[in-house]
Amino acid sequence: MSDDPRHAPRAGHGRAPDVFRPGAWVPMREYGEDEAVDFVIVGTGAGGGTLACKLAEHGFSVVAMDAGPYFRPLEDFASDEAEQSKLYWTDDRISTGENPIQLGSNNSGKAVGGSTVHFAMVSLRFRPEWFKSRTLLGYGFDWPLDWQEMWHYYHEVEEALKIAGPITYPWGPPRPRYPYRAHPLNAAAMALAKGCEAMGVAWTETPIATLSAPRGLAHPCVYRGFCVTGCSTNAKQSALVTWIPRAIAAGAEIRDLAMVGRVETGPDGLATGVHYHREGRWRFQKARNVVVAGYSIETPRLLLNSATARYPQGLANSSGLVGKYLMVQANQAVWGKMEAEVRSYKAPPSLAITEHWNYDDNKDFFGGYCYMSQGPLPQLWANTQINAHGLWGEPLMQEMQDYNHQVGLKIVGEMLPQERNGVTLAEDKDQYGLPVPRVSYSWCDNDKALIAHSLGFMEKALGAIDATDIWRQEDDTCHLNGGARMGGDPRTSVVDADCRSWDIRNLWICDGSVFPTVGGVNPSLTIQAIACRTGDRIKQMATRGEL
Amino acid sequence: MKTKQAGLGLLGSLALGAIGIALFGREREAFPPRRQLPDRLALPLPDQRGAERLRGLRRGDTPRSPFQRWLGLPSSPAVSRAARVRAARRLNRSAGLLATSVLLDSALEHYRGSFRNPAMYTPLGVSALSLAASLHGTGDPRSGRHPFRSALYAAAAVTGIVGTGFHIYNITRRPGGFVWQNLFYGAPLGAPMAISLAGLMGSAAEHVRDDRPGTAPRVFGLPAGRMLAAMAGGGILGTVGEAGLLHFRGAFHNPAMFLPVTMPPVAAALLLNTAAAPARRDRWLTRWWLRLTALLGFAGVGFHAYGVQRNMGGWRNWSQNVLNGPPLPAPPSFTGLALAGLAALDLLEDEPDA
Ligand SMILES: Cc1cc2nc3c(=O)[nH]c(=O)nc-3n(C[C@H](O)[C@H](O)[C@H](O)COP(=O)(O)OP(=O)(O)OC[C@H]3O[C@@H](n4cnc5c(N)ncnc54)[C@H](O)[C@@H]3O)c2cc1C
Ligand code: SF4
Repeated sequence: MSDDPRHAPRAGHGRAPDVFRPGAWVPMREYGEDEAVDFVIVGTGAGGGTLACKLAEHGFSVVAMDAGPYFRPLEDFASDEAEQSKLYWTDDRISTGENPIQLGSNNSGKAVGGSTVHFAMVSLRFRPEWFKSRTLLGYGFDWPLDWQEMWHYYHEVEEALKIAGPITYPWGPPRPRYPYRAHPLNAAAMALAKGCEAMGVAWTETPIATLSAPRGLAHPCVYRGFCVTGCSTNAKQSALVTWIPRAIAAGAEIRDLAMVGRVETGPDGLATGVHYHREGRWRFQKARNVVVAGYSIETPRLLLNSATARYPQGLANSSGLVGKYLMVQANQAVWGKMEAEVRSYKAPPSLAITEHWNYDDNKDFFGGYCYMSQGPLPQLWANTQINAHGLWGEPLMQEMQDYNHQVGLKIVGEMLPQERNGVTLAEDKDQYGLPVPRVSYSWCDNDKALIAHSLGFMEKALGAIDATDIWRQEDDTCHLNGGARMGGDPRTSVVDADCRSWDIRNLWICDGSVFPTVGGVNPSLTIQAIACRTGDRIKQMATRGEL
Repeated sequence: MKTKQAGLGLLGSLALGAIGIALFGREREAFPPRRQLPDRLALPLPDQRGAERLRGLRRGDTPRSPFQRWLGLPSSPAVSRAARVRAARRLNRSAGLLATSVLLDSALEHYRGSFRNPAMYTPLGVSALSLAASLHGTGDPRSGRHPFRSALYAAAAVTGIVGTGFHIYNITRRPGGFVWQNLFYGAPLGAPMAISLAGLMGSAAEHVRDDRPGTAPRVFGLPAGRMLAAMAGGGILGTVGEAGLLHFRGAFHNPAMFLPVTMPPVAAALLLNTAAAPARRDRWLTRWWLRLTALLGFAGVGFHAYGVQRNMGGWRNWSQNVLNGPPLPAPPSFTGLALAGLAALDLLEDEPDA
């Protein structure tokens, strides 16, 4: 039998891969398909993986499915950008709009552990005001969550991932000490720090989900910088090496290479289980509750694809908002060259950060952004040069000679939620015969103003440290959020604060798609905090007989 | 190739232990057991008072210096020549251990820093010479200060101070200046003082050895036993600070990492008490605690070796992980200082003064 996890499932026969020991296995509980489990979860990323762990630890029976493979990081991950594209969701999708999103590497993963297997590990808390951005800041929508409660869950996640962060965080209300100390700054991060000092804004070490000291069988970071192509040392605290092993230990079953095509609903309108494709055929798993956690494109797509006569617009969609208000984040950059070698690819890419413009409201646009130091791997850098400057052949080779001297700053910026941005179903079918998603995206004037502001500021910051050949990369976006937002009113939201759909009480959505707004920080910590909260809320509701 | 590398690694890590054992091991050979010292009661006249004190008579034999009076310290005993030489050799030994620790640690760390600045070779040379001086002194049964050793030790003491200056400069140059990031990862502030301590201990050894019969042994003009106890205690506290900082950087991820910030401070407190408190004959607790601290210094190497193993590739990838993991040569600093403390105790206990 081939040991390629992309061809045959690894989890099964009572065992799952032990991600910490080459070739080893851990025992895994299994559930029959006719046995209605308490929860079947679609997707095992930041949302689904976390929730699977919480629910299993609260004593529920859980089956979590993922369309992606079950990787063993110590064995399966090569230091090779091309090979590692196996981590991305590259199924057919149509991308349209005035500013179509480039889908795949920079926004969606397909693996047990989801996009966290190749994410950049930046682990930031929301600014508290963003949870009430309509009321307090005058734009977007209010969340039905209280920031202080979220502060508590952020802490839970930071502990679970042993986030390495600064001793004191310069912005926002006080937070508890990060469990691990910050990593040493690489030269790229030093450049950010010097730029900030020249511009008179605060900077700090980025709180990041990779180990600065050993943890159990996971090794500390070796600073080789292959993070966004999958970490082969297990230093990266992805869902694959944190929540999932905990979930399995607590009795959850993980099914890899299991693509869910449809959520089934019964005559009473409640969800009864999921149809999924595994080992060459369609199967059905019975469940008392279904959680959809496929991220902002696949979650709406699955809900829309599960339409019935009773729910002709798709499941949980009485508001008509499933697939609407999708948000990416602005990911523009300014690049330059330093006289001295920088070798920015060494170490995790974003070791230093400034959140100055997230907390300063003296701007002529809504929302905020942070910016971080960068460390593109060579192939990505060559691609950047090709796309931005049309270089090829000799000129490209020439440019790549300066690779070790490149320095860059890149934002994660808040884009405003717009109804026109979102996911619908196309005519085309994918390899499973399911309608593929059409993703439409256009920037609004506020988005453009934010981008212009950030590019101007970063350009000055690079100029202040004597970088030369400074240029702007204006088109990049990252992270997906929204598409099934939470809220306090069934008419204007898809799920409530507990991630429970308003329409079908045993259907839940627990991933990045529940965000009403995105904020100016990377989303995974917030997704995991919401999942932790949801797990606790479900337990409370179960005790009170409210499920 | 692989096995050769592994062999070299093993040799390297054993070297430290071997030197330590050699230094420890000399004790029995070199020094007759204390109770059998031949000259204890057959002392020249001034030391007769020491013998009287043995029988419980009052102290106050040598005139107190203004400084001693100011501090309210009792006067010091006049110690026999043999006892001095023995104490001096012990101090040479602890200076040697400190120098070894500095030699290996600065070699590793400055190699890691690619010897960017030629000054980074200095601590290697100076600590190697201090080690040589210490080996020489440890094996030297003669009394009287040795000019070369004295000069080398003085140079070591100065080197540490200059090194601290360099390290402070390095930190201030980094963005943020004196922030945790730079204290963790910039040039370590406390490290160069270890070479100064080696120099000071060595200088003290030479002072103590410098025999002027009938006078109390003094170090830098102060009573030797008390002064040394204070120096060793202070040195331990400094080393605790350094270990504390680095273990905090490692988030105390292993409970054993609390040992060097809990055990040695007690040793330091006991030593400082020894230095300042009224004379007492039997300081068994201090003695035992110092012995434990000395042991902890060696055990630390083992803990750190385990820490190296926990990095990606473990000891198989020693050439990276020895640089990357916890510093193997650092913990024996505690041993060196604890041994100095023990030498101080010996000085004080041989004559029932302090
Ligand atoms: C390159 C990159 C860098 C990033 N860097 C950061 C960062 O530094 N900090 C940060 O906070 N965030 C970062 N992110 C974003 C972060 O990874 C995501 O926001 C987060 O993982 C989303 O969590 P999720 O649970 O919503 O979805 P995912 O983590 O993507 O998980 C969804 C999972 O569901 C599975 N799935 C989808 N549909 C189905 C189906 N129908 N059947 C079965 N399985 C299905 C997918 O295979 C996938 O594994 C980064 C993302 C990328 C791609
Ligand atoms: S730099 Fe660190 S986190 Fe990134 S891939 Fe390497 S070991 Fe993993």
